[in-house]
Amino acid sequence: MISDGASGAALSTERAEAVLFEEAARLDARAFDAWLELFTDDAIYWLPMGVEDPAREPSLIFDDRARMEERVFRLMDTAAHAQLPPSRTQHDITNVRVVETTADWARVACHLVVHEVRIGDPSQVGLGDVRSFPGRCEYVLRHGAEGQWLIAEKTVRLLARELPQYNLTFIV
Amino acid sequence: MTRSQEHNRVPGQQASQDDDPFPLDDLVLDEPYRFRVDGRVYTDAHLFALEMDRIWRRSWLYVGHESEIREPGDYRTAVLAREPIILSRGEDGGIHAVFNRCMHRGAALCRDDRGHANHFRCPYHNWVYRNDGTLVGMAQKSGYGSHFDTSELDLVPVPRLEAYRGLIFANLDPAAPALQERLGPSAWYIDQWADRSPTGQMSVAEGVHRYSYPGNWKFQLENGVDGYHGNYVHDSFVKILHRAGDRSRQDVVRARNRLGSNASAKGLPRGDGLLEREDGMLGTFDYASRDEYRRSLVEAHGSARLQDILTQRNLLIFPSVYLFESHIRVIRPISPTSTIVDTIPTRIEGIDDAINTERLREHERFFGPSSFGATDDIEIFVLNQTGVQAEVPRWLDFSRGLERERVADNGERIGHSTDEAPQRAIYREWRRMMLSGEGPS
Ligand code: FES
Ligand SMILES: [Fe+2]
Repeated sequence: MISDGASGAALSTERAEAVLFEEAARLDARAFDAWLELFTDDAIYWLPMGVEDPAREPSLIFDDRARMEERVFRLMDTAAHAQLPPSRTQHDITNVRVVETTADWARVACHLVVHEVRIGDPSQVGLGDVRSFPGRCEYVLRHGAEGQWLIAEKTVRLLARELPQYNLTFIV
Repeated sequence: MTRSQEHNRVPGQQASQDDDPFPLDDLVLDEPYRFRVDGRVYTDAHLFALEMDRIWRRSWLYVGHESEIREPGDYRTAVLAREPIILSRGEDGGIHAVFNRCMHRGAALCRDDRGHANHFRCPYHNWVYRNDGTLVGMAQKSGYGSHFDTSELDLVPVPRLEAYRGLIFANLDPAAPALQERLGPSAWYIDQWADRSPTGQMSVAEGVHRYSYPGNWKFQLENGVDGYHGNYVHDSFVKILHRAGDRSRQDVVRARNRLGSNASAKGLPRGDGLLEREDGMLGTFDYASRDEYRRSLVEAHGSARLQDILTQRNLLIFPSVYLFESHIRVIRPISPTSTIVDTIPTRIEGIDDAINTERLREHERFFGPSSFGATDDIEIFVLNQTGVQAEVPRWLDFSRGLERERVADNGERIGHSTDEAPQRAIYREWRRMMLSGEGPS
């Protein structure tokens, strides 16, 4: 767990980067249970589309903590066909900015490109292509009880969010 | 050619030198105890072009929902068998559909997929049309002289445009029968679908879940009425339900296999089909058992219809659209090996809005592009597409339930919910339309 040690300090860019890079590392290692540990119990993981109102339109993903756990369960403990073979991912994070911060709360923005490939028998339809998913992220981080920064909200606005999607079953 | 020679024929070596590289009536074999389809219907470019001409250009195709163009001036664009069109609500309150193509030199008029406009102005040379298609302005008009006739320069309307229960269909074939005549017995099922609303009105949510997949469009057609695959393709989802305690896993599997009067797969005339389950699809948000909602349906439609309305159905209107409980699913073939599918969540008018929001969340859970259900179906379509690249084994088999299906008076063929009756209906109609030089009659 990433800890500030000294509580009461506002979030620095370096500390924010450490949280985001750690999240990326856990996703790319397919350590999805460990990924969940970075989130608060009331976390939201959201990939909106156009009007950004979950009451009026479907989102690509609008997960509360329970559904995030379902998502991880599906990836780790079930043979989901869309992940056979599984996606190999690389989350590249840049342009990290702490937009707003207090001692125990912060809003962080960054750019994200997820590179993804499924290998298997690469001569087959649907396999063997490296695909890239650029997007912009907005995080809300909260200071946890032990001084660590936890993710309360992760919003990813994919650049191509309204366009047809093919196999978006890994975690962006 | 003997049967075994035919079976082992080398792909690409054709017996016939006709227009069609292989005999069309040989692609679907409808025999007493066996029903088979040639794998090349999913791969061959020539067949795909024929499908476009003989099926897609002659069928009533779903192009939009009335709720998307509520106000005069609202428009949305659509694709009708690969031709770009604009659907709009005119000042007269009527629905218009014109080709999205300027009558001067062919530029598309609308770039956005939806919006609000009283006029369409061509970006190229500034010709202006009212949203019903009437040409009302030409830049520097004097250049055309006094003998130039503009009477045939209104935007061209789509040949046929009709709606049923809010669903707008268009047809490129001017000689097509009326929509309701074509729908036949399917209209009754559409009525049950729309009457899930106490006002009889469905509307669509603002966003669309849009998929693309590198596979043939008919795999999606076959799958939406396939009751055979659920336990296997959706094993991951069944485990998720089990984990969530929705129902015990054995219950889930048993319910899927149950054969009851209202759990069946049906092939309808004209290629339509459906899968229906009296007690609903597993894992879907159970608003249907809420007292207040049921009361509102009984009040509006009568208690005798309640079970019919609440039976869960996937209804295919061949070849372009499915009505699912939670959404309208529109199929758009791009090439033999590429398809786009729009799943458009519906809202039930006249009920508690919180229910519609919950339905959206459940829709994301099973049907969205990052969902725990439909994404696995899509993967299967891609496995299908990979497999049919092998052309030496020629046939796909659709015989399941052929010997136990029952033919009803209205022509419906009714099978066990896991039978391939709907898929056979698809390919009987596919064959009929591919073989006829004529449009549907
Ligand atoms: S192409 Fe439209 S005005 Fe010339
Ligand atoms: Fe399925």
